[in-house]
Amino acid sequence: MVFSSITFLFYFLPIVLAIYYLVPNKLKNTILLIASLLFYFYGEPKYILIMITTIITTYIFGILIEKNSKYKQIYLIISILINLSFLLYFKYINFIISNINMWLTHKIDLINVILPIGISFYTFQLLSYIIDVYKGRTLAQKNILKLAMYVSLFPQLIAGPIVRYVDIQKQIEKREYTLEKFALGVRRFIIGLSKKVLIANVLGELIQVFGVSNEKSVLFYWLYAIANMLQIYFDFSGYSDMAIGLGKMFGFDFLENFNYPYIATSITDFWRRWHISLSSWFRDYIYIPLGGNRVSKIKFVRNILIVWILTGLWHGAEWNFVVWGLFFGILLIIEKLFLEKYINKLPKALSRIYVLIIVMISFIIFSGENINIIMENIQGLVGINGVPLITKESLYYLKSYIIIIIVGIIGSMPIMKKVSEIKNMKKLINIIEPIFLLILFLVSTSYIVDGSFNPFLYFRF
Amino acid sequence: MQDKLKNYIITVGFIFILIMVFILNLISKDKDISISERRRLAKIPSITFSKLINGDTSNEFENYTVDQFIARDELRKVKSFVSTNIFMQKDNNKLFEKDNAIYKIEYPLNENNVQKSLNKIKNIYNKYLHNMNVYYAIIPDKNYYLENDDYLKMNYNELKDITQSILKDLNYIDIWQSLDLEDYYRTDTHWKQENLDKVIEKIEKEMKLDNTLNTKYKIEEKGNYYGVYYGQLGKQVPPDKIYIKTNDTINNCITYNYETKKYGKVYDEEIIKTSVDKYDIYLSGATPIISIENLNSNTDKELLLFRDSFGSSLAPLLIENYKKITLIDTRYISSNLLENYIDFKNQDVLFLYSTLVLNQDILK
Repeated sequence: MVFSSITFLFYFLPIVLAIYYLVPNKLKNTILLIASLLFYFYGEPKYILIMITTIITTYIFGILIEKNSKYKQIYLIISILINLSFLLYFKYINFIISNINMWLTHKIDLINVILPIGISFYTFQLLSYIIDVYKGRTLAQKNILKLAMYVSLFPQLIAGPIVRYVDIQKQIEKREYTLEKFALGVRRFIIGLSKKVLIANVLGELIQVFGVSNEKSVLFYWLYAIANMLQIYFDFSGYSDMAIGLGKMFGFDFLENFNYPYIATSITDFWRRWHISLSSWFRDYIYIPLGGNRVSKIKFVRNILIVWILTGLWHGAEWNFVVWGLFFGILLIIEKLFLEKYINKLPKALSRIYVLIIVMISFIIFSGENINIIMENIQGLVGINGVPLITKESLYYLKSYIIIIIVGIIGSMPIMKKVSEIKNMKKLINIIEPIFLLILFLVSTSYIVDGSFNPFLYFRF
Repeated sequence: MQDKLKNYIITVGFIFILIMVFILNLISKDKDISISERRRLAKIPSITFSKLINGDTSNEFENYTVDQFIARDELRKVKSFVSTNIFMQKDNNKLFEKDNAIYKIEYPLNENNVQKSLNKIKNIYNKYLHNMNVYYAIIPDKNYYLENDDYLKMNYNELKDITQSILKDLNYIDIWQSLDLEDYYRTDTHWKQENLDKVIEKIEKEMKLDNTLNTKYKIEEKGNYYGVYYGQLGKQVPPDKIYIKTNDTINNCITYNYETKKYGKVYDEEIIKTSVDKYDIYLSGATPIISIENLNSNTDKELLLFRDSFGSSLAPLLIENYKKITLIDTRYISSNLLENYIDFKNQDVLFLYSTLVLNQDILK
């Protein structure tokens, strides 16, 4: 089930909210667990068993690790292997086979396997839990229903943010419900929904048109590159907003996942602002255990490259994701070792342009179906592949999408946030906000009712 | 306004909307068809174990909730308004409105599809029609006549070039100069029957038929016509009127539908009472093969008209020249099966297809 669907908005959510707030506090976790399992079952009926299996095994090993310090390392390794084996099989098996096949004369048949929705997200949550129990950062959860509720919690189950157990363990036991928190949740949810439906989906249509166009031009390549960059951001951050908003409606406080990444002044800064829950996961569970940056330069380079190859692979079992990860890894190494001091001296506008161009190219790699298309889409930006500067078609689509692109660019910057912080504006904003949210909700619903183009990009991860 | 009041309004408002819409959706009666979109709406899915496990129930329920959503038509109008008036998008779902007329972007020219369509016509010619009088004409979609150059149009010159190179053995009838924008419905793809004088004159001239320009017709209005684009755009424009051109010859004609094996009239006044598409008044709408027999005819000549839906409204106006016209729509019947139904002898043959059909690969 996707958040931007009629089924979720006007069937699932009102029923779950109503039951949740009508039952006594001690039953709230159980209601959330049942609702979350139904939510997952609705979209992924068969593979719910995989999630339940990994929850049960991780629960058992969590308790074993805590109880038996002698063998705890073995238990940790077994638990990690169980979790990773599901991920490896369902996500990477065909990637591995097709790469082995390149060297074989007798090819191995590919396996007919579908990626279970959200497996990359909940596997990482379970890994963080079991590692934190091992490290003594938290106690093992003794109540399996509570652990299951944490993993399957529907607001963040299928596309993050990757909420860590240590961050919400207190909230699992006791949550605060206030009018302010609920209203804040509604606000975040509606804004996220609008980002997804009104910006990301509409730009997705432009990207589809670009993909099948036979009359490409430099202008069209730029339109694509910008639309692609905005679509990925609005799709994913919109989902995170909805997740955080829903979390608040049910009394949770999830950590932020995005912090205006397109105003970053360096690639290092960008990754502090983009998919924060994922980059901090890799930092805490891979990079730092490898020694982080408190090692020799060579080891530092090795650590960065390992983390970024893995980050790339986490996004998908294709070589373009590996290249995408390496692209960032290498840039981060260059920045850390040489460029940082120069970038810091640059005017902010220039350093931001530097980041935007790098990120734009990175997302062309990210979205490209194969190396030829990726190269064509990058070369097209400067017209190397001999396309005209402008065509009637690209001009048409520029005129048709320019307002949405401008809205997208403005929405990527903290302009509204700054305006809302002006003291004298508070009264006016308080009047406008409910009306604005109502209009956004109405318009988003109208787009959902009318449209059929509604994929969530991060569902495939 | 204080923060507390604002939070109260947002919270209560949101919950109220969710629950009200949920209840209204539950109690509102499901509709069978959407008149504005001219299609059947999804019904509540049946639940079986296998459908539940393979995800079919979820998918069907998604379609059902969207199709049967309360105020669906009004919300589609909101979307249309926002996308064209706020976001200033040039089209909404490829449709746009100009001077109270609705157009659909037919772009780009899909050369591959055009070639496939034309080769299927050529195959029919090679298989059945050698040594017969075979003609073809292409009907431009109405975008061709749209003067405003802002919108994307398919490359019509390229289409003509491909057509003439593949169908070079057939006689070409150029009707592009015989039509204009007002000869098409404002809310639909089709041409208006009452505006086809120039097209008929051109076809008769090229096919060496008698000129029937002076034939007397009575033009009868059959009410408002909400064309196929009307509901798709979700925007209010005035409806068209639909007319039929009739006279004694046409009134005395008998049609025979090879699929339903039923006889009928040229203008089906019954079907438009139930059909969501009033254009079905012409020969009862889409069907693989239908013939019109002219009982008043002084000639034994026959015409085989390979056609799409545009042919339904044109064929009655050619009947003065023939004893029988057989309309064949190879979108609904494979051309390999035609010899089971048609006795190919010395009939006149006319292929009449719109650019819209040629640009898709839908001929069988």
